[in-house]
Amino acid sequence: MPRGLWTTTVGSFPKPPHLERARGQFARGEISADQLLQLERDATIEVIRSQEEIGLEILVDGELYRGDMTTYFAELMQGFQISNPVRSYGNRYYRKPVATGPVRRTKPWTVDWWKFAQSQTKKPVKGMLTGPYTMMDWSFNEHYPSREALAMDLAEAIREEAIALAEAGAQFVQVDEPAVSVRPEELKLAIKALGRAVEGVKAKTITHICYGDFDVIYPALLDLPVDMIDLEMANSRYDLLDRFKQHRFTKEIGYGVLDVHSHRIETKEEIKQGILRGLEFLKPEQMYIDPDCGLKTRTVEEAKEKLAVMVAAVREVREERGITA
Amino acid sequence: MKIETTLSGSFPKLPLEPGAPNVRVVRNRMDQGKATEMDLAEATRETTRRIVALQESAGVDLPVDGNVGWDDAQTAVARGLGGFTIAGLIRYLDTNTYYRQPEITGDVAWTKPVTVDDFKAAQGMAHRPLKAVLPGPYSLYRFSRDRHYKDPNRAVAAVGQALAGEAKALEDAGATWIHFEEPWLGRATAADAPLVAAALEPVLRGRKAKTMLHVPFRSPGAVFGSIRDLPWTGIGFDLVEAPDAWNLIPKVPAGRTVGLGLVDARNTRLEDPARVAADIHRARSMRSDLSWQLCTTASLEYLPVDRAAMKVARLTEAARLASANGG
Repeated sequence: MPRGLWTTTVGSFPKPPHLERARGQFARGEISADQLLQLERDATIEVIRSQEEIGLEILVDGELYRGDMTTYFAELMQGFQISNPVRSYGNRYYRKPVATGPVRRTKPWTVDWWKFAQSQTKKPVKGMLTGPYTMMDWSFNEHYPSREALAMDLAEAIREEAIALAEAGAQFVQVDEPAVSVRPEELKLAIKALGRAVEGVKAKTITHICYGDFDVIYPALLDLPVDMIDLEMANSRYDLLDRFKQHRFTKEIGYGVLDVHSHRIETKEEIKQGILRGLEFLKPEQMYIDPDCGLKTRTVEEAKEKLAVMVAAVREVREERGITA
Repeated sequence: MKIETTLSGSFPKLPLEPGAPNVRVVRNRMDQGKATEMDLAEATRETTRRIVALQESAGVDLPVDGNVGWDDAQTAVARGLGGFTIAGLIRYLDTNTYYRQPEITGDVAWTKPVTVDDFKAAQGMAHRPLKAVLPGPYSLYRFSRDRHYKDPNRAVAAVGQALAGEAKALEDAGATWIHFEEPWLGRATAADAPLVAAALEPVLRGRKAKTMLHVPFRSPGAVFGSIRDLPWTGIGFDLVEAPDAWNLIPKVPAGRTVGLGLVDARNTRLEDPARVAADIHRARSMRSDLSWQLCTTASLEYLPVDRAAMKVARLTEAARLASANGG
């Protein structure tokens, strides 16, 4: 009997309103770092419990202690300053890292959080990092002479953290590279930098890529030196499968079936259809079913509902196709 | 001789001073049911007033309104044209910003003015003529997904005609310059040349207003031959990210305007005005039969507002230096 269609998520979960308020209070000096930390730990426990209740099989810590996916790391590194807010779309803003000196990892960034999250569950929890190419591309650069120089210094720093996560026991280390999909002429640089970041990491390695021009970067994308590539499928109405028909997808895939930018809760049937379409081109043991991207833009309730429908859809497909976990 | 200064596209919406009208805050309050559409309109108006005033006080010759009401560079216009529906979020080229992808689901057509009211309102706040900004027709086509025509030639011609309607409406409303933001001209290949020309021809032909095709991020070298003789007034190059665009300056027809994108809109590192002035001198020494504008490489909305304001100051300072040096 084939195995596969394991369920997971891409990384971030929505912060509950009380935690959002607390982060604001902390920023204004109204609560202490210890008070915020306790609230973040409590919320992380809740996210782990929630994932277990929903029935997900590979968990995440939810990144409730992080703001933006690049700024969080930049704030912990030497060599970065943080800009005032920059708009990303509509009314969404983020503070962007500014490389003003050599970038270095001077202390662990996520290992304690990973250990804490893993201590709350027997299911595997993924270690979650942002990749060197994306960190470089989404930062302003006032120091390095070239994009490559900044990316490769970042790769060294990220590699130290990835190795530390694996040594702490992480079975999965995900190094997200969403920026890879948009500058195809730099795909070789992205491959080189990501290759260095995961070199010697004794864990299953994953990268997440989204919202780009896959017509241009596929199948070269398959050269990314990781075990699994996580892709948004639902947002593009599974159009990526047309590329898979022309050129087989050769790695494991994180197969996104939930539109994380829509309030609408997908129906079980449409998710099943998306998975079944994928099974025309992919083997079940290649496929990890998840949302298109991080869930942090949804409400807590929306995220839970979407994931519950996703898990129900996977269970039905498994039953109909005789696939086990 | 004085070099004219202008900006490309949008400007950051957040205020420099705490407590000033803030569209971000109002939109967040609207999400919580604590503010109304009228509050947003007021904040948008005041933000536009601030952006126009910032440019005027810095000495920008051809200011823009900042596109304060736009969620992204495509959908505000596509949404107002017939034949488009707005779909999922997608990354805007290699920027870490996003747009909702327009989908062509019916006959694309101009049915009513889309940007004219905003332009007129902003013009009413300004002491000098503003430059109107529209997405370029080729880029709007390329940013969209065609689910209707399924024929690039028909689709691109329809998009061009629709934007020509909007350009005429802006012209009738008093716009003397219309800027078409055309990032996809820098990504087009020689094989795309007929499509590029077919897209641009309707928006340029018969225009009373002056027209600027601005190409951020990359050089339009692969298709320049096909657009060279179209009736545009000016073409803007990103000379920071695409220094190979310098090679196109000798090919620009005499009498046209070249926008020198020498102030980097995608990095916080501040330019040395003397170096920018030297580059202006370099351009002028290449051709004496062209007019020149100094501009940002792209929309300043890629920067935080404090840096964007500093960049505007560097831009006008560089122009002053270039003019003083006779370069």
